[in-house]
Parts: sequence; C-alpha cells; structure tokens
Amino acid sequence: MRPAGRSETDSLYFDYPHFPFVRPPELAGQAVRHRVAIVGAGPVGVTAALELARHGIASVVLDDKATVNDGSRAICISRHSLELLQQLGVDAPFTAKGLGWNQGRTYFRDREIYRFRMPHSDQERYAPMFNLQQQYIEQFLIDKAQASDLIEMRWQSAVTGVEQEADGVTLRVTTPEGEYALACDYLLAADGGRSRLRESLGLSLHGQAYEGRYVIADVRLKSDFPTERRAFFHSKALPDATILVHRQPDDIWRIDYQLGPDEDLEQAVEEASIREKVSLIIREVMHESDEWELEWWSLYKAYTLALDDYRHGRVLFIGDSAHLVPIFGVRGLNNGLADAANAGWKLAWVLKGQAPEALLDSYSPERRGATLDVFANAGKSTRFMTPPSRGYRRMRNAALALAFHNDYASGFANPRQVTPYTYAESPLTLADDPAFAAGPIPGAPLINRRLGDDDFLLDHLGTGFTLLHFSEDGRVAPALRESLDSLQARGHDLTLLRVARSPADAQTLVDVDGSLFAGYGAEPGSAYLARPDRHVTARWKRLDPTALEAALTSTLGGE
Amino acid sequence: MTAPTLPFADLERVYERLATTLDALPEADESHFLAQLALALAHRVPDVDQVMAAIEEARQGATLDQDDRA
Repeated sequence: MRPAGRSETDSLYFDYPHFPFVRPPELAGQAVRHRVAIVGAGPVGVTAALELARHGIASVVLDDKATVNDGSRAICISRHSLELLQQLGVDAPFTAKGLGWNQGRTYFRDREIYRFRMPHSDQERYAPMFNLQQQYIEQFLIDKAQASDLIEMRWQSAVTGVEQEADGVTLRVTTPEGEYALACDYLLAADGGRSRLRESLGLSLHGQAYEGRYVIADVRLKSDFPTERRAFFHSKALPDATILVHRQPDDIWRIDYQLGPDEDLEQAVEEASIREKVSLIIREVMHESDEWELEWWSLYKAYTLALDDYRHGRVLFIGDSAHLVPIFGVRGLNNGLADAANAGWKLAWVLKGQAPEALLDSYSPERRGATLDVFANAGKSTRFMTPPSRGYRRMRNAALALAFHNDYASGFANPRQVTPYTYAESPLTLADDPAFAAGPIPGAPLINRRLGDDDFLLDHLGTGFTLLHFSEDGRVAPALRESLDSLQARGHDLTLLRVARSPADAQTLVDVDGSLFAGYGAEPGSAYLARPDRHVTARWKRLDPTALEAALTSTLGGE
Repeated sequence: MTAPTLPFADLERVYERLATTLDALPEADESHFLAQLALALAHRVPDVDQVMAAIEEARQGATLDQDDRA
C-alpha cells in the first residue's frame, strides 16, 4: 500500500518500467509448441528461465502484470544466491546496487545486548547478505532475460486455466487482445503464494500459521547507521512489539513491527496508524531526528506451509507457489531461487536428452527437504520473534536479559539466518568417501576460495557438471582423461577444473597459499564432482577413473 | 572456571519445555513454580559458588530496567 494520492507504482525512488503487450503467434492462429512455459515473472520465475537458457533451453514466461512488484518485499539476498546469480551472469548489477552486510545487533529494553556476525572471510567473493529492493531484483533479472534469444517474456498475459496431458501441458491465456491456448512440454509454476495454477490443479498447501502479524513499512530517511540487521525487543516506546530494521539502497529503510494479538487489522494498515507507529519507532527506537517520508507498507503473517509434493507430472512448483515460510531468517526469496536453479538444470538435462525423466523425481525430495529444514528453524525463530503465549514470552525475555551479561544465553538472540541446504538424503547424492577429514560433504554446495586479485574458484565453474581435480602439477592421469573425453563425446556437459599446488599450464588453477587443498581436505589425486547448481554429488580422496562415469550416471537419475 | 556446562542445543530444549510448562500453569503460580525449580536445580549442583553466581546473573538480568517487567 502507498500513501493517499499515490498509485501503486508511484515510488519515491524507483521508476517502474512499463512492459507492453506483444501479440503472440498463437493469437494469429499459429500452432506453437513451447518446451517450457513459466508462469510468473517474479524473481523465481525469471531465474528459472535464465537457468534454462544457460543450458540452451528456450522458455516462455507469462505474467499478468505490466510492470514489476509493487513494493520492496523480499530484500535480503544471501551469498549462496549471489553465487547462483553469478552463474547466470547477472551478479554485477546486484553487487553494484545492493548493500552488502555481515552483522547485526539485538536490543532488549533499548539496550544493545548482543551482536552477531555471519561467517565471512577474504576467501569469499560476496558478502554473506545483500540488501536490495525486490523491484530492483526483478528488474535486473528481467533485463538479463530480455537480452536472451532463448527467453520470451509475455506481459499482461493471465493464465486462467491449465490442463495436463500425458505428453504436455496446455494453458489458457487471457490477454488484452483475446484468449489463446499455449502448449508446452513442461510447466514451471512460479505464480506466488496465491498461485492460481496450484488452485486450478486442485492442490493446497499444508502446515501451520503462527500467531504473529507484522506491518512491513519502507521510509526514506537520511541516516549514517551502517547496513546491519537490528532487532528491538521490548522497547520502551513499543514494549509489546518486536521491531526489525534493515537498510536498503536509495536511503530507504525497512521497518517491520509486530502487531498485538488484539489489534484490528484494518485499522492497523490505515495510513494514519502506520505514520503514528513508524514515527514513534524512528524517533524513540532508532533515535533518528531527520525528516522522513513514507514510501510503502504491507501486512505480513508468519506461515510454514508447503505442498506435499512439488512436482505434479509435468508441472513443477517453484518458490512461494510451493511453500510459504516466515520472513525471519530471510528464507523465502533465497529458497525460491534455489528451487529455480534445481528445477531449471534438471529440466534442461531431461529436455537435452542427457538424463532420463526420472531425474525430475529428485526435485521435490531435495527442495521440499530444504523447506522442511527451514520450517524446523523458522518455527524456533518465529516463536522467539513473536512469542505465541505467556510462557514463550517469559522465556524469551529471560533469555534476552541473561544475554546482556552472559555469552551462554546469546545463542538465543541469534537470528538463524538462511544457510544453504545440504542434499545429504537425496537419491542423487553418493555416499561420502570416509577418507576425507574436511571439505564440503556430498550434497553440500562447493565452497569458494580466493585464487588471486578479483579471482575466485567459483568464477571458473563450467555450465554443467564440474570435476574439481586436485594434483601437484595439473597433470591428469591418461585413464581419467580418456574417461572424460568419452563422456564429453557422448554429449555430457562436464568441465574439468584442475587445481595444482605448483604452477603448470595456463588452464590450471594454482593454490597459492594451500587454502584450496585445505578447504577441500584434498591431496593430489582427490576430486569433487559438482552439479550445475554447485552442490557436490560425489567426492573421492583418490579418484579411480572408472568411478566417474558411474557417479555421473547415478546422479542423473539413471541406474 | 572449567566446570562442564549444558550444550546449547540442550539449553534450547529446556527453554521450550519451560515455555510450555509455564503455559500450562495459572499465571499466579509462575513465581512459585520458578522458585521451586531454582531450588531443585541448585540441589543438583555440587558447588555452591556456582549456584550463587547463577543467582547473581539472574538478579542482574532482572534489574536491567527496574521500572518495567515483561
């Protein structure tokens, strides 16, 4: 919502683009068969289109809007997501515009009682978290998609029906110039928390709703306070409300505040109520004295809801259409992006004929597993942020009060921010080699390491699978070279990335200070096989060349 | 001090159990319950200095802000 007299797209800082309707060939009666249709041009849908395009697969993206999101909404992008955006070649505008951060403060009764830091080191290319308004996130992704020959964006195109057949999906699309049927091999449903596709297919989310309701409000305010996450509990000004404050680009500040259990929702979102509370928070909690302007606000309720299965035949649900998670810990967008990458590469491999359709069976267990893991964490943080009862409120305040002087209690004040999920139980993940004492286990994502000035390990990944090979001097045993050549000759997108202790040829990555070998627990002869989404599928302390093909077959859903 | 302490994951379990136990009691019985719990826990700690230190930690936390109680 926006202040009186301003339309949904009348922002203090953001120029909303207008995306025109373009008549598709279907409306002229031409029969077109799309390989992949994606419904929803939000961050998750467009990321899926970019991931498919990265692997050479064309897609069409449909959205009923003519512009991007009405408000800033999801503002925290994790390092893991930035690494994904880097693979899509779109990270530059995000890091240029976004505000990187790695720490936060917790206040109890207006006292700072705890500071948390997220893991960060000079081995990382990206800060643990970037703040950026969702409009920018969408715009940067859409700009990239529009530059791709493989992605067709269809705006002002509402999907009003869906039918699934044995060999494809047919959508009914309503546009300003009439209706048409759109035929595709596979459908990605990225149409958000109120997904019409989910409803049309007769599916519903299951789980629980939490007590707490929050107003999320953006204001424009000049302040020198650094980019950090601030959480205020039991402030003098608003003792019953938990308050979160985040900095965003363009002098925009996000203020989230909890509503009391008896507060009337309609009244709470009236402009006068918003102004009154926000003013109190800016003056009495944030202690800012400058003038401020109200930009946008919305209402939020904490849910842990998910579909029982994220795949229904040829329809894969990605992002909020598959799951709703509480905002605490910033998992909504970041998990949605991971869904998009996961579904994207698997669909590409099936459509390229490099994997059996059974590969798609792994999408739901992997990503629903990530959701359930989020639920386990989010339940704890939601009960902490928004105690559902007297007992939880009593314990929360006791833990915060103890945390002021005692480190043993500060863990309770830790916001449990999103961490990438490990696909340890996935059918695609092979058993670990027990000889390893360090490094990412199978199912976990690759870790980054600095190679030199503006040069990091993850910059060098291939588009498909990557075999990270460790050696003294970059040499590869003839039997392994033969196995790689044979796989590549059969069309497998598999890149060999050689890490050596001492400089060899120009294509070898040199581990100058030993941190790469150490980080991966590797010795000469060790190897990691990573999927297109950077998750490790297998690792060997000493790679037997014959094991590579078997591992690749198994991780592609084959026998 | 190098006395062994409860791992944080177990402390979290205690937090949850206490929250639900408090919820099951009438509000008027809360301090009665918590005082009993303090004695029962103290009985299990063989070092009285540790117990006295814990009392002082809780006293300091309770008086962070004298005029307002949650």
